[in-house]
Amino acid sequence: MDRSDQQLVASYLKGDENSLKVLIKRYLKPIYNFVFRYIGSSQEAEDITQGVFVKAWRNLKKFDQNRSFKTWIFSIAKNSCIDFLKKKKTIPFSEFENKTGRNVLLETLVDNAPLPNQLFEQVNITKILTSAIEKLSPQYRMVLFLRYNDHFTFREIAEVLNEPLHTVKSRHRRALIQLKKLLIKL
Amino acid sequence: MRKDYEKLFTHLKPAEPSVGLFDRIVLAIQREKELRKTKRLLFGFLFLLVVSSIATPLSWTMLINQIESSGISYFVSTALSDFGTFLLLWKDFTLAILESLPLTGMMVFGISLGMAVFTLRLFLYRKRLLLGYLMQSFA
Repeated sequence: MDRSDQQLVASYLKGDENSLKVLIKRYLKPIYNFVFRYIGSSQEAEDITQGVFVKAWRNLKKFDQNRSFKTWIFSIAKNSCIDFLKKKKTIPFSEFENKTGRNVLLETLVDNAPLPNQLFEQVNITKILTSAIEKLSPQYRMVLFLRYNDHFTFREIAEVLNEPLHTVKSRHRRALIQLKKLLIKL
Repeated sequence: MRKDYEKLFTHLKPAEPSVGLFDRIVLAIQREKELRKTKRLLFGFLFLLVVSSIATPLSWTMLINQIESSGISYFVSTALSDFGTFLLLWKDFTLAILESLPLTGMMVFGISLGMAVFTLRLFLYRKRLLLGYLMQSFA
């Protein structure tokens, strides 16, 4: 029988090393997906995911076992992503310029807009949905993903995002309206 | 409605982490554990080093003072100079010597010496680990 997260944490704190591995296995994919959605790069998402689990392990003794482990680890992931993005933002774009003032990065940036023939090929639902979701704002996208992909309750989403419950609910409603509009357009 | 959206979201391909990520995480945690152990060992070592390097000379001075102020040196020198009398009255002599022993000073010195030996032994056994950690921290 599958042990609950709380049981696994308690068992690990009592000295059962294997419980931690079970917990990591259980949350590896959801956390990686969450981070990947936030960051958008697989290599960086892997590094951040690793950091999330190390941080969780470091603070496992402080973890309040009456709280949900799922929301706790997702909040660590969210904070790690925010920290990463903050650090990334501190690199000014002008640093990519060389001595002559040419911005190599700017010149090599790929135009992400799909070509007309590519748009024509986007007939299956996955592509349409992905495209619609990508057009949503990151906040809306996160709420929808947590709700429908990671099966979180509104209360859990509020806990992870550290936002009031009613804010999450209204954001969710607005996100659905926007998604519907985008899906109809596509 | 929730079910419909959940069904809709199953069409999205989840991003797959690389195969080695799980092992990398376990290894990183293992490394952190070792680092934590080394840090504790280093702090324990430094604490013992400071305490024993202060306590050993102090307790030695205290022991010498107590030996000088007690009558032990007088009894021992009498026993050595007049060995015949010592053998005759060995029970009284032994009792007198035992009574004049500076027990507190001996105990304090014994403990601090033991601590100093333990610290040295700890360093000799774990010098690679401790020095490695220190070098890594200051690099």
